Amino acid sequence: MPFATSNFLVPNGTLIVELIAFLIVLAVIGKYVLPPLNKAMTARQEQIRSELEAADRAKADADAADAERRRVLDEARHQAREIVANANVTAERATVAAQARAQAEHDRIVHAAEAEVAVAKQAAVDELTARVGQLVLAAAERVVGREIRAEDHRDLIEAAIAAVRAESGSAEDRAAASGASR
Amino acid sequence: MGLADNVALPHVLVASISVGEHITRTVLGLKLDVDLVWSTAAAMVVTIALGLAVRRRATSGVPGKLQVFWELVVDATQRQVESSIGPRGARIVPIAITLFVFIFVCNLFGVIGLGAKYDVLLPPAADINLPLAMALFVIVLVHVASIRTRGIGGYLKHYVTQPFPKFLFLGNIFINVVEELAKPVTLALRLFGNLLSGGLMLALLAYLVVWKIGPVPVGGILAVVFNPVWKLFDILIGVIQAFIFALLAILYFDVAMSDAH
Repeated sequence: MPFATSNFLVPNGTLIVELIAFLIVLAVIGKYVLPPLNKAMTARQEQIRSELEAADRAKADADAADAERRRVLDEARHQAREIVANANVTAERATVAAQARAQAEHDRIVHAAEAEVAVAKQAAVDELTARVGQLVLAAAERVVGREIRAEDHRDLIEAAIAAVRAESGSAEDRAAASGASR
Repeated sequence: MGLADNVALPHVLVASISVGEHITRTVLGLKLDVDLVWSTAAAMVVTIALGLAVRRRATSGVPGKLQVFWELVVDATQRQVESSIGPRGARIVPIAITLFVFIFVCNLFGVIGLGAKYDVLLPPAADINLPLAMALFVIVLVHVASIRTRGIGGYLKHYVTQPFPKFLFLGNIFINVVEELAKPVTLALRLFGNLLSGGLMLALLAYLVVWKIGPVPVGGILAVVFNPVWKLFDILIGVIQAFIFALLAILYFDVAMSDAH
């Protein structure tokens, strides 16, 4: 065989065909394949970027809403605490007022009772006085044996009543003293 | 290699393990390897079909598998160009992408090869013509880019003034010329040698069939086992070589377009 055809390191006319073939491929890929492909890739990147931005925005919104919720919750808690504190104060005040009212009522009742007791005692003393006068007169009639006219001994009777009265007054004082000590 | 002459096997398979033998025809005074032209045309059609298919279905939504493949290539190439050359290298991107995809498709033809003397679709890069054509194309453009970047004066000056001091300009010229000549040669031979040896391995594996111990077809069994193993490995080699070719093209452009000389 001649040297030129047997040596596989020597190119031949096929080189030109191969070059043309490669240039055709290069032209088609460079002109028709890569531009739409690049466009698609760029569009996808843009899409991803905008989606990430939207996600960031959504997250910021969510964070803001969360902070707002937290703030409202805190406020509500604060208000609740205030309300409870107010209620406690009010209750305290009401208790004090009720106690004061009860004390006043108690005092009033006690005073009324005391007054009533004093009136009743007075009535009893008066009645007793009247009765003592009659009894004294009756006893004196029996002793003397004749009728005694009350008008005639008015001074005497009244002196006696005054004595009784003084006695009952001291008794009353003693009763009041013992009641206070109780 | 006359070993096979006395073995009764189909002629087309392993009659002789040949290197660089092609069916040639002379067209317009050019000697053409018809089988190479045919397989290159097939690779061209496949590559363009892959490209047009993805063009039709290109979407900014969820990409299909084909688009994922293309986008992977485009993205990796853009990244590489961007990091080594910078924004000025944008015009290199289509060249690098085409180099990778086209060589990748070509190299896959090795997988359907049998290692026969005339494979139906031999990998086009297993012949010197395609790698050399692409390497020359790249290197010519690299020199054009270098002249565009530095001006014709700067382009010529860089042969003389580096890497050594100026008074050693003869040495500088020698080293630079050798380097520039070596670039297309090494670029072409690296790809060519890998693909050629891949095909040779297939032929040798097929040739194992003649080995028998008594009635046991030891070689046949080995061939059946190792042929797919080798083809899987060959796919890997094909991808790597396509990647290296494209990457080196980018790096040559990088050297030519950088101002740092």
